[in-house]
Amino acid sequence: MGTSKAASSGKKMSPTAKGYLVLLLLVFVSWAIFKVLTPHNFGSPANMLSYFQASLIASAGAVGFYFVLVMGMFDFSIGANIILSTIIGCKLAAGLGMGYAGLIIGCIVTGALVGLANGIFYVKLRIPSMIVTTGLALIYESLANIIAGGMEQTLPSNLRMFGKMPGNIILAVIVFIVAYLILNYTKIGTYTYAIGSNEFIAKNMGINVNKYKVLAFVISGAFLGAMAVLTISYGSSMVAVTGMASMSRNFIPTMGCFFGVAFKKYGIPLQAIIIGEFMINIIFFGFIALGAPTAIQDVITGLALLIIITLTTKVVKGEIVK
Amino acid sequence: MSEVRLQVQNLSKSFGITRAVRDVSFNINKGEVHALIGENGSGKSTLTNMLCGIHTIDSGKFILDGKEVHPKNQVEANNEGISIIVQELGTLDGLTVAENIFLGHEDMFVKNGIKNTNAMNRKANELLQQYGFERIKAQNQIDDYNFEDRKLVEIVKATYFHPKIVVIDETTTALSQEGREELYKHMNRIREEGNTVIFISHDLPEILDKSDTITVLRDGVYIDTVKSADMTEDDLKKLMVGREVTGAYYRADYGTPISDEVVLSVKNVTVPGLIEDVSFDLHQGEILGFGGLSESGMHEIGKAVFGASYDRQGTVTLANGTQINDIPTAIKNSIAYTSKDRDNESIVINQSIGDNIVLPSLGELSNKFGLLSDKKLKTFADKFAAQMSVKMQNVGQFVSDLSGGNKQKVVLARWIGKDSNIVVLDSPTRGIDIKVKQDIYQLMDHMRQNGKSIIMISEELMELIGMCDRIIIMKDGKLNGELLRSEEMDENLLISKMV
Repeated sequence: MGTSKAASSGKKMSPTAKGYLVLLLLVFVSWAIFKVLTPHNFGSPANMLSYFQASLIASAGAVGFYFVLVMGMFDFSIGANIILSTIIGCKLAAGLGMGYAGLIIGCIVTGALVGLANGIFYVKLRIPSMIVTTGLALIYESLANIIAGGMEQTLPSNLRMFGKMPGNIILAVIVFIVAYLILNYTKIGTYTYAIGSNEFIAKNMGINVNKYKVLAFVISGAFLGAMAVLTISYGSSMVAVTGMASMSRNFIPTMGCFFGVAFKKYGIPLQAIIIGEFMINIIFFGFIALGAPTAIQDVITGLALLIIITLTTKVVKGEIVK
Repeated sequence: MSEVRLQVQNLSKSFGITRAVRDVSFNINKGEVHALIGENGSGKSTLTNMLCGIHTIDSGKFILDGKEVHPKNQVEANNEGISIIVQELGTLDGLTVAENIFLGHEDMFVKNGIKNTNAMNRKANELLQQYGFERIKAQNQIDDYNFEDRKLVEIVKATYFHPKIVVIDETTTALSQEGREELYKHMNRIREEGNTVIFISHDLPEILDKSDTITVLRDGVYIDTVKSADMTEDDLKKLMVGREVTGAYYRADYGTPISDEVVLSVKNVTVPGLIEDVSFDLHQGEILGFGGLSESGMHEIGKAVFGASYDRQGTVTLANGTQINDIPTAIKNSIAYTSKDRDNESIVINQSIGDNIVLPSLGELSNKFGLLSDKKLKTFADKFAAQMSVKMQNVGQFVSDLSGGNKQKVVLARWIGKDSNIVVLDSPTRGIDIKVKQDIYQLMDHMRQNGKSIIMISEELMELIGMCDRIIIMKDGKLNGELLRSEEMDENLLISKMV
């Protein structure tokens, strides 16, 4: 009676193994459903590799956004950040002839600066991050539009190494390793969880909470910058939309991040983000293979994700969910 | 003559218009357990929180080993050789045991910006072994451990670096006897190393037994510093309250028959992993006590009766046949419940005193259109806050500003306002001073005489013996004996059924 969970866990499967098993099972089920529905134009090994490559784009941003989300903050400027970073990266790479260095530095530094602005405004204004980032998203969109001069920006074909194998895989792997190192092998990772758990106690432990919140936005922004590199390399062009149209780009990285939060208890949040994004792409491409109308695709995708997160999160009875 | 470790000089601190600590000066020596006592709101925790960097100092200073210290947070305090074990939970979910132990001190495991998690876990496991807590594993998530084990982790966290001063703030009330013994062992060790423990507790026998010196505060003002060996409980009460504490402490009656009228019947209640096949009846005007070790399942009894247990099997039935399966039904049928975990389960910490008091009574306080009047709410809150003598500026003050004992008074005021017929009190006097304890005991006795029925769950055996008509002892989730009120009953009889 009353013994600690840890003390009484016995010889059960380790949480990590259980987490991987659940994730892989979800991937398999998603694949199997569409494979049965549309066996000829979906789910071959080559197709699956293609879906996986596409999923790496959002995964690169989501592993950074995880730092913000775990601290209890949110970011509605993800899409605007990607667009602005892409436009500047494109301008530096092609417009100024800086090539790959311009593309990578332009995107990642812009992303980090956008994150810095988000963090500073959030900390200084002391208003909810959702409101701050929504307001700033409008500014970033307009800024991108001005820089692009209202023109679609295209990345020349000789600069699209990160849009295909092995360039995309190499960049994504580097991004994931960096995120993993920061989360597990630096103070930043520990403080991210500490602030997310109880900001007051964290503050009393001498943690400069505001500094680490800003840092979380900077990290998130830099990773979204990496996502921008992959996005423009894969898609080749970018239009600087306005009027909050960039919000549609928020969905996929955010959903992947929710997988990370749901699987935090298994000790594999970043791995869950990567596998989760893969699964989202399987569902997405499955619908395309079925030729389902976009509205139906969105409804079913939304419902499927809600069901998956609900089933996998399994909140302890009595635990408060906000 | 003992050497002075800490000089407290003209220290003051205010929160708004409340002067929590007023020009306090006294000395604390090396190699002693120095108790700090006083009623709730007397300034004990405020003073030690300033020492540990949790609150800033308004005026005055701390001089530690001849050098002025003014830490801005707990890590700076640790670096000065000061640490604290707090009353409520002081560890963070989402981190491992090792990360909690070394939070704020990770730099000792960081090289070139990279944290050596293995070295941190190894060091934490070594410490846990040294302390005899080897069942707690450094690499596990802290969330995997219960409240008691997490407190043990806090002991390691607060003492592993041999601080000059360790503040233990109301920690023992949160611990079972076994946990307390562990804590006492480490308090002795700290003293033997020539370091100092500042020990805050409302348990006067514990204070007299475990401390060498006692400083008394009253309403934020320094009263006296005395040697424990020269004092009795009554002497301390007098110093704390400022007058003789007279009148009955516990109930004085014996032989009062228990009514035959059953108001609540619990049949074959099981909550998986916590309690098993528990049955009992509660009678009108009865105080029914539940005692046992902290993990015996007795705390779940209160939740089960209030409809707050998850996966509960069996039935909880009122005299009119109503089944209690959820909290709204319990409240609607005049059942009240105060949890042991006051801050997390009983009080809305970031709301005002008034909001907390009126919370379950909003239905009765709203007019026929369902609208609420500010004036009516305030009058209601004022009345019951005053009845419980809550020490406050006004009912608009936030509960988070109150001391532990005053928070408990707010919880009780809420249910007195609701005028519930069945009241479940889990650890009602936890962290509460002697005077408020007496008030609560008298309130319970008064309620009993007015026909209210009370279930009192407590780890304090003396209050069970002093207040209850019947005491049910629990062990390993099951009922393990029942004792009727008598003058001959003593703690040993209860303990023999508990272990």
